[in-house]
Amino acid sequence: MKSFSFLRLSVWFYLAIFFAYLLGPLVIMSVTAFNSPEFPRASPWECLTFEWFSALFQDERILNGIWNSILVGAGTVVLSVAMGLAGALMLTQIWPKLRATYYTIIIAPILIPGVVLGISTLVFWDRINRMLGLGVDSFLSNGLFLTIIGQSTFIASYCMLVLVARLQRYDIALTEAALDLGATHTQAFRKVLLPFMKPAIASAAVLAFLASFENYNTTTFTFGEYPTLTIELAQKVRYGITPAISALAFIIVVLTVFAALANEANIRRKELVAAARKDATVEELESGRMRLPNFFSSNWAAVGLVVLACLTVATVGTATVYSPQQCIADIREQKRLETEQRIQELRQRRAEEAARRAAEEAESGADSTGGQSKPAAGGNSSGFGGAFAPSALGGDSSTDDPDTGADAAPEQDSGSGFGGAFDPNALSGGGDDGN
Amino acid sequence: MPSFLKEFFKRNGVGMGSLMLGLVLFWTIGLIILPQLSMLDFSFRPNLPPPEIGGPKDVYTLENYKYLIFGPEGGSQDYNAVDLRVFFRTLVAAVCVTVFNLIFCYPIAYYLAQTKGNHIRIFALMLIIPYWINEILRAFALRIIFGETGVLNNLFVGLGIFDTPFDFIRNDIALYAGLGYAYILLMIFPIYNVIESLDRNQIEAARDMGASWPMIHRRVVIPYAKPGISSGCTMVFMLSAGALAAPQILGGPSSLWFTQLIYQQFNDNSDWPQGAAYAVVLLVTCILLVLAIMRLFKVNMGDIGK
Repeated sequence: MKSFSFLRLSVWFYLAIFFAYLLGPLVIMSVTAFNSPEFPRASPWECLTFEWFSALFQDERILNGIWNSILVGAGTVVLSVAMGLAGALMLTQIWPKLRATYYTIIIAPILIPGVVLGISTLVFWDRINRMLGLGVDSFLSNGLFLTIIGQSTFIASYCMLVLVARLQRYDIALTEAALDLGATHTQAFRKVLLPFMKPAIASAAVLAFLASFENYNTTTFTFGEYPTLTIELAQKVRYGITPAISALAFIIVVLTVFAALANEANIRRKELVAAARKDATVEELESGRMRLPNFFSSNWAAVGLVVLACLTVATVGTATVYSPQQCIADIREQKRLETEQRIQELRQRRAEEAARRAAEEAESGADSTGGQSKPAAGGNSSGFGGAFAPSALGGDSSTDDPDTGADAAPEQDSGSGFGGAFDPNALSGGGDDGN
Repeated sequence: MPSFLKEFFKRNGVGMGSLMLGLVLFWTIGLIILPQLSMLDFSFRPNLPPPEIGGPKDVYTLENYKYLIFGPEGGSQDYNAVDLRVFFRTLVAAVCVTVFNLIFCYPIAYYLAQTKGNHIRIFALMLIIPYWINEILRAFALRIIFGETGVLNNLFVGLGIFDTPFDFIRNDIALYAGLGYAYILLMIFPIYNVIESLDRNQIEAARDMGASWPMIHRRVVIPYAKPGISSGCTMVFMLSAGALAAPQILGGPSSLWFTQLIYQQFNDNSDWPQGAAYAVVLLVTCILLVLAIMRLFKVNMGDIGK
């Protein structure tokens, strides 16, 4: 029995690690949205602030990106659900010998890297555009069109999988009966098959919209003049990150949790009602006096939903009256003192360093051992600033090539590294926040 | 009109039938097959300014592929060491991420599939929620954690484990954690789906016969879950080899992902044929690798995506 409880314990421990890995980053990111430093971080905690949310809502590019994302999402949903449904129907009717090939073709876009899909879409439509003799600003080279087309290529496959799962349970005799009774094919489709497929179509549409909304790899090649929210976010994240992005992430997390809880509460509610109906007597059902279960009884999702809604209202309420100015001023004063102290220390250290280097240089000339110890130090100190510099991210790897780096770079590199670290402006300004 | 087409229209009606056929043809040929062929064709052409396309200089050439292997013509090196190293590093790292995800996710998938109860639904919800958050934002979250003054570094320095902050980003730890993080659900879900349909009696029977837990997994659960495992692994491998956002945000300044090279060819160098050639190389290598592994473990293509 003892080993059994040990097993149980380790299962729970594993689950805890797993969900910490899964949810921890999101929680920490959400926390940074409320902390006042310019650089998003959860610790040390400085001041509770809501300014990042207002910064977010004033950001034209983000708002424009959301609008573009919605446009692209709507187009993608329509196109990919239609193609997915047609593809799924075709799968049930196609000549058996062709079925495996056909299935491979329509499932392949899920496995093809998004980058490749984006490139092939761009290249192909560019060529069509040229063959038709249209200009560079024609409809076919329009970012919106290309993005919808590119995304639909693989999102239609997701839709197809969702729809096929439901279609397998469809009784084809229903359509045949409708046709026998004199319905046209269109009527049979609209009145018989479509209502049956409705739940699956709804979930396929939601899936398609979400997939479109968060797609980056394909869109990054096709967006043209219409950067979606994801593209804007990626550009912001690559070239300097601010807590405003955390604020956006927090909003998305809350919306997601809200939607998930609402969905779950709805399902649970239906189950409970169905169970209550099953237990009810015929008389109760007929008279309509059957007691439906309370909305909140044994429905944790509904309880969670209400708690979340209350929390949201409370947070928004606090945000409108709360002002962190005093706290921020205090922190700033404290930081100024710290910075001054640090500048003093650094001045002292620089004097010492200069003296030491002078002595060293006098001792050994441009000797190889000196050349090797310095680049390490230089690389280190410049690395702190470099990790967040935009050019470092996009920079090519040849600068880190050991062959070229060892000979030419060290002197210059270590010089700039020290120069940056000792500059008092860098410390009181961005440098302090950046690191 | 061929007979099968006639039958098709008879079954679906002319209007519905042609709409269906049109959509399917547009999707399969117009969106899937032709663009890929077009990219393949494009990758064999030289990089020309628009007026010269279709002109006398527009001939097929292997130059773009040669560039990947041998580097620029007349270059100092025999091989294009930088790009090739990035290429192999990407493949090896993608395999590592896949294996890590499999080992990490298998117990969870097994637990979720074989346990009944209300808390399983909460777990399922907690699994799905991170997947609904934008890929960029998930990478951003990890960037905050792994950064120079991130939570992890503060924790480690605070506890006295490290003296100075450890550069997770430069050492690519952040990148691997991010790639693993991004595709957890794609690994769990197929495995979960298969194991859920495994009859518990089989496990009970194996236990009654005296098999130990590792034995049960090796002989009963894993063979049964093989389609799910292979489908999860294929998806995670393909997606992490083709990932672009995570390497751009979490990758160190000196370490590139192969997709980043493609991106640079397209956006920074404006050398589309070169980029297309790299994309073709990536696609073909990944597909061959996946097919080889599937052949090795005797899994069918039809099992993918179930």
